[in-house]
Amino acid sequence: MAVTPTAALVQTLNGIQFGFILFMIASGLTVILGILDVLNLAHGELFSLGAYTAIGVFGFIIGIVGPPGGGVVGTAVFVLAVLAAVLVTAAILLPVGTLFEAVFLRQIYDRDQVYQLVLTFALLLILLDVKKVIWGDSSIRTDAVYSAINTIPTSELVGLNYPTYNVFVILVGSVVVVGLFWFFERTKTGRIIRATAIDREMATAIGVSTDRVFTLVFALGAFLAGFAGAMAVPPTSATLEMGTNPLVLSFVVIVIGGLGSLRGAFVGALLVGVIRSWMITLYPPGEIAAPFAIMALILLVKPEGLFGTWGETA
Amino acid sequence: MPERVDRDRTPAYRFLGVEVTRREAAFLVLGVVVLFIVPDLTTVSDSLQLSVIHQGLLFGFAAVGLNLLLRHTKLTSFGHAAFFGTGAYATAVLARYAGVQSVGLLLLGAIAAATVMAAIIGALSLRHTGLYFALLTLAFGQLLYAIALGQSALGGSDGLPIRPGPANQPLLFGTAFSPDVYQVLTYYLTVVVILIGLFVMYRITQSPFRNALDAIGQERTRARFIGLPVRRYVWAAFVVSGIYGGVAGGLYAVVRQYVRPEGTLFFLRSGDILFMAILGGFRTLVGPLIGGVVLVFLQDVGQDVTQYYDFLTGVVLLILVYGFPRGIVGSLRSGGIVNTRLNELRREPSVLSTWGRTAVQSIERKVTEALTSLRIILFGVD
Repeated sequence: MAVTPTAALVQTLNGIQFGFILFMIASGLTVILGILDVLNLAHGELFSLGAYTAIGVFGFIIGIVGPPGGGVVGTAVFVLAVLAAVLVTAAILLPVGTLFEAVFLRQIYDRDQVYQLVLTFALLLILLDVKKVIWGDSSIRTDAVYSAINTIPTSELVGLNYPTYNVFVILVGSVVVVGLFWFFERTKTGRIIRATAIDREMATAIGVSTDRVFTLVFALGAFLAGFAGAMAVPPTSATLEMGTNPLVLSFVVIVIGGLGSLRGAFVGALLVGVIRSWMITLYPPGEIAAPFAIMALILLVKPEGLFGTWGETA
Repeated sequence: MPERVDRDRTPAYRFLGVEVTRREAAFLVLGVVVLFIVPDLTTVSDSLQLSVIHQGLLFGFAAVGLNLLLRHTKLTSFGHAAFFGTGAYATAVLARYAGVQSVGLLLLGAIAAATVMAAIIGALSLRHTGLYFALLTLAFGQLLYAIALGQSALGGSDGLPIRPGPANQPLLFGTAFSPDVYQVLTYYLTVVVILIGLFVMYRITQSPFRNALDAIGQERTRARFIGLPVRRYVWAAFVVSGIYGGVAGGLYAVVRQYVRPEGTLFFLRSGDILFMAILGGFRTLVGPLIGGVVLVFLQDVGQDVTQYYDFLTGVVLLILVYGFPRGIVGSLRSGGIVNTRLNELRREPSVLSTWGRTAVQSIERKVTEALTSLRIILFGVD
């Protein structure tokens, strides 16, 4: 099959866009794993909870702002409104994460790791049906955001027919990446989290409350998952089982990057996103298999993942 | 014939290397009898279905295999559906493309395929322990799932039928039976296989091999220092546990006469198998089997009763984690937290007010903590 350069570029961009979404999910997962030592199986459900919530929030906020008005100002207002909706959605997920950690997980840190798997899996199942109770069985979607943002010309300016919304995701995703690294490198809270990850006992000795750090980290993970859900939902629809696939791919991402490494999660997410996207055009049956094949390969060559574990740098 | 021995001053009997006290022997006989009369029990009530219990037993059998790793080497495999699915698909491929009709041969094929698969996956993933191992097994499981889903020769998402030969079904004793009889006969085949499998597992847990695995599970480095071939032993345990999964998968294919990637290879099936082991009690031999029946039964009954059956399963797992961490069988044997609490209550009813007070206090503390955490999240640490 002949692949034109344009098609290859579009697929790569699609991959990068998906990679950024994946990074937002995987980064939360990897930070939780690196600090709490818990593999949160319910993380995909947090992502999908974000997607469902976002549809309501989008509707509400766009109801206030109205459809994008003409001119640059009107468009800018609309884009800001969408961003605000995404942030609100993510903020709604904060207490959910806090609750999860403080009520459920905290009781069983000293137990066998198996129980944490069972617990987070139980939470996965419960969240699945909570969504079913609230939003029903059928998938729901919001078209307004996707189509409105796509009317803004971006890629057309360089002669490429590519949805503006995807460009928007890539831009916002980059901001999130930069923000996360800034948070962990520069802010006091971020440094405290890193200190806890590197040496929990030492951190306690210098007066860090690990309980609070744990809650904070879990809430941060939920925030990022909600953010990802809100960013991912406009082009598609929110479905009950939408959390499964990103969850499994996030496992791949964090193993490729190294358990607990934020930088690794970033590289891994883009790698998985792009390769998966290429496979869709080159060899469709390989789409599901490719990420796992890469993961197995990387583990055989470099068992600790590309960037090892969490350490002095984020 | 059973030979009488003394174990900790209680009389015990030894037969074929199985050593049991009188009480255990009673439970053993009861268990075997229950297994054998299940087809009759299911005719009594509509809510009990033979196929459901059968499926539970099969997944539970795979969980028995997984338990060898979980209980002794402390390795959590999150990809045991890979072997279940390999067994099932090997059966399907043999029936479809080689025209094998005999159930025995089909099962042998399943065992062979699962052994090879476990040997390969084990060699690749056992370089790691802990979560890495869990994720690696998960990845290999998903890889197989993707292969089964992607290859048209394996039927893609539609799966493959197991209906070889002119009889359009696998043959038991070289004969084709009507569907009803076939269902019951394959059930008894499963029971026999399970009993043999449990016996073999029991012998393994009585052997020095088990002690070696325990040592490895407790402290790998020390085990290597005292001269245990750690890698080789863990690998052997992995292959054995994979074979259990393969046998279960082969039987599943023979019984269902149809395999689909979703039902056999999907990673949630791996999760199911793992949770069955924990639900039943992973410190026990038969726990995983019982956990399998209970979990599958729960999911099936839940589907009839309410559309929110996932919630039901989730709540059961939550109760398991907090109330009965030793699982069903483990708790029955030693009494879980609930049991101790009940005894306390019976002895001294006023303990209730103490519990109430501690509960209120802990809730208060949780709320304060949560508010503090929220403040930290919103305003940072300063």
